[in-house]
Amino acid sequence: MEELSFVGKSVPRKDGVEKATGKALYTVDMVLPGMLWGKILRSPYPHAKILNIDTSRAERLPGVKAVITGKDTLGIKHGFVETPRYPPDQYPLAMDRVRYIGEEVAAVAAIDEYIAEEALSLIKVDYEELPAVFDPEEAMRPDAPEIHPSHPKVKEPYKNIGGKTETGWGDIEKGFADSYLVREDRFEGQLRTHCYMEPQATFASYDLSGKLNVWTSSQGPFIKRAKLATTLGLPFNNVRVLKAYVGGAYGGKIDLFSHEFCASLLSMKTGRPVKIVWTRQEVFEASRHGQPIIVELKTGVKKDGTLLAQKVRVINNAGAYRGSGVVVIFLCWGFVMLSYRIPNLKYEGYSVYTNNPVRAPQRGHGAPNLRFAVDSQMDMIAEELGIDPVEIRLKNARQKGEILPNGDYVRNCGLVECIERVAEETQFKDKYAKGKLQEGQRIRRGIGMGVSSYFSGSLIYPNASAAIVKLNDDGTVSLLTGALDIGQGAETILSQIVAEELGVAMEDIRVVAADTETTPVDIGSWISGGAYVSGNAVKLAASDARRQLFEVAAKELEANPEDLVAKNREIFVKGSPGRSISFSQAVAASIAKRRGNPIIGQGHYRTMKDVPMHPSLATTKGRWSDNYAFDAQVAEVEVDTWTGQVKLLKATTAHDCGFPINPILVEGQIDGQVSMAQGHALWEEVLMEKGKTLTTSFLDYKIPCAKDMVESHYIDVITEKYEKDIPYRTKEVGEGYVSGMVAAIANAVYNATGVRVKTLPIYPEKILMGLKEKKKK
Amino acid sequence: MKKQLIELRVNGESHELAIEPQRTLLEVLREDLGLTGAKEACGTGECGACTVLIDGKPILSCLTLAIEAQGKEITTIEGLVKGGELHPLQKAFIRYGAIQCGYCTSGMILNAKSILDENPKPSREEILKGLEGNLCRCTGYNKILDAIMAVSIGEE
Repeated sequence: MEELSFVGKSVPRKDGVEKATGKALYTVDMVLPGMLWGKILRSPYPHAKILNIDTSRAERLPGVKAVITGKDTLGIKHGFVETPRYPPDQYPLAMDRVRYIGEEVAAVAAIDEYIAEEALSLIKVDYEELPAVFDPEEAMRPDAPEIHPSHPKVKEPYKNIGGKTETGWGDIEKGFADSYLVREDRFEGQLRTHCYMEPQATFASYDLSGKLNVWTSSQGPFIKRAKLATTLGLPFNNVRVLKAYVGGAYGGKIDLFSHEFCASLLSMKTGRPVKIVWTRQEVFEASRHGQPIIVELKTGVKKDGTLLAQKVRVINNAGAYRGSGVVVIFLCWGFVMLSYRIPNLKYEGYSVYTNNPVRAPQRGHGAPNLRFAVDSQMDMIAEELGIDPVEIRLKNARQKGEILPNGDYVRNCGLVECIERVAEETQFKDKYAKGKLQEGQRIRRGIGMGVSSYFSGSLIYPNASAAIVKLNDDGTVSLLTGALDIGQGAETILSQIVAEELGVAMEDIRVVAADTETTPVDIGSWISGGAYVSGNAVKLAASDARRQLFEVAAKELEANPEDLVAKNREIFVKGSPGRSISFSQAVAASIAKRRGNPIIGQGHYRTMKDVPMHPSLATTKGRWSDNYAFDAQVAEVEVDTWTGQVKLLKATTAHDCGFPINPILVEGQIDGQVSMAQGHALWEEVLMEKGKTLTTSFLDYKIPCAKDMVESHYIDVITEKYEKDIPYRTKEVGEGYVSGMVAAIANAVYNATGVRVKTLPIYPEKILMGLKEKKKK
Repeated sequence: MKKQLIELRVNGESHELAIEPQRTLLEVLREDLGLTGAKEACGTGECGACTVLIDGKPILSCLTLAIEAQGKEITTIEGLVKGGELHPLQKAFIRYGAIQCGYCTSGMILNAKSILDENPKPSREEILKGLEGNLCRCTGYNKILDAIMAVSIGEE
């Protein structure tokens, strides 16, 4: 096989210099002459009718240029999911009702932030408070207040059901009847939030020709354009969403947010650019956080630990609008199904409306919580059966070549190898045995394992990625891609692919990215398909450009195109290094002899080529992904049994991401996810009381800081390869890998202390109470 | 509020500005001087994204009034490049994968500079302790530590 020069190498990121020197422009940095500042007025009530809004005093305040309310909008709803079963349910600005504290009621544009803020205090809104409900299981009761009385819902004996996923296979009752051991447990996840360092921010500039330019801190411009254009009643080609650097997103900046709509509409009203930047307090109080799910898990196994049956019930507290709640209950089914073989399954997931802020995906989109439940229970079962945690996982782990219950083919799967290698490298069995022998010691060590699997790109709007690779006259290259680099390194890995295919240096490639007007469509940096779907589109575009170059060069060199190779912007005849022409000469020849053809390569790609649509969120029927990534993670912890404090000392991740296009970027993704899992497992929780957020700053909501850094080790399990001219199947690394670590930490805490915590986070008091309980026994 | 005339020395250059006295150094750097490398992520001194150096010491520019910074030498991330050459920390952050989204990077690099200026051979623990006030949500800090350690032992 030809040796690779760029793919598979830890080349430095393309945007490194701009970011290291402070020159990278984020949405918050954008400025245009005549710019106004926008601010949003939010509901103080969790559930209320809006009787009247009087904006006249605000409008009269000197410096205020526009005030908008729901009446100024077209009243077109939007939603994360927009399907016949789940039609959009949220107005971009509240019309007659508010359903959570923080819902957007009005917006102001003024000459500075202070005046805009003052104007908000002059808007008078008359509300009539309505009964509210915050807990999902309370909201399901027949006597609960109805949050969406006139909106189509899923028919269920329960109230406030925003969505339901129901699926299964085999004979669940027989599975349990045949089981040697059946366990039932309930696990609860907490409400977490993304903590992207750049707050939500949008800068919109409308001109009277009818054109709206928007810079927004997001995860991909094409979904933003679609939803902005639809809600504003503009044709798609009049809305241009442009690239700005993004200061972190992790799932929290995907579909339309009200401030993006408001900045746009305020700019349309005033004819001036309008910038809206949320305060950190606003982000904590009113932005979309992650999904706090409850998992009820009944599992039956044979005496040797083989899974026979699993009954899973997931309840998601979706907040006041559907958000991604109906997606997370679909995905949780997948996160049950992927890692272990389950011959008989019954799954039901409910997404429940409550009077809480709307919810968004957060890195892993349900997987960390779901895997926490499944893999915690797996350890409990192993202990009851007297089986080692490694062996029980090996016995049930998915293997290469299996067909999943939804029809997807697991073409390659390194899960068994991941489990074996991570166990070996961490000396798991020795340490696990020692973990149980520390009774009486104050400081105890523990080790635990979790596994996870994740899809790599699925079908959701805009479903596909395309790319253009242009040759310049001097032989350098421009890559046009709709992909948005949100920190994961999209522009870098896409450039590596171009460099590999064309034989040009990284610095010979300039990337034009994430601009709905000038770059081709891209699926976005939020569906775990960047490396796979966008990467293959770029690969095809680059190889198309190379094919054209070689056609021209073959004529000039009197050789066959098959005998040519490209390196350093030169095309050589294999075996005769003297015979060559430069890219620059080939481009000139193409223009001179092929009627001006300057050589432009094109490529496009979609996951699951022949599948007409996305899988059913209701029934899970239909293909989901071409590619699944797998990992096994081990956590090593230290617990102080006097204080209940847990330290995550070391995280080891054995992962099958296909092959790493850029190892240092893959490591960076793993480190970031380990860190996020550390916070998820141990500290992070958005506390709310009756719909009001109590944790409104980084002082109240602790995310890991430098002092908490976890030693992170990586084991690559390579299952795929990259070859020229053939689409490849690398897998995702952006979010699945966080998902085994939360369970691994919980299992390690148990190994150290004998305390099983089933509700996250594992606060010190839960450990102390558990130790106390144990003593009583 | 009535504007005051002040003089700020930033990255070796003097700037005369008429500003309202309640404005923060961060606002003035970003809005009046166009130095947008320093970022606001919390506005209340919890995250370190707005870190700049005043007389070589890291300060939170979101909690510092611009008028307080008069007569002092302010260094922002834009001032670290000398003669077109990146500072060794900037190079190391790129090379060791210490940057992802980049939003915390300016503050992180400036704080790292002050750590190394004070103690050119810090231990891992001293570096991590020194960076405690700079939040990063992308990297888990591992590669940031690698980059700073590399500079401290003379690698870039």
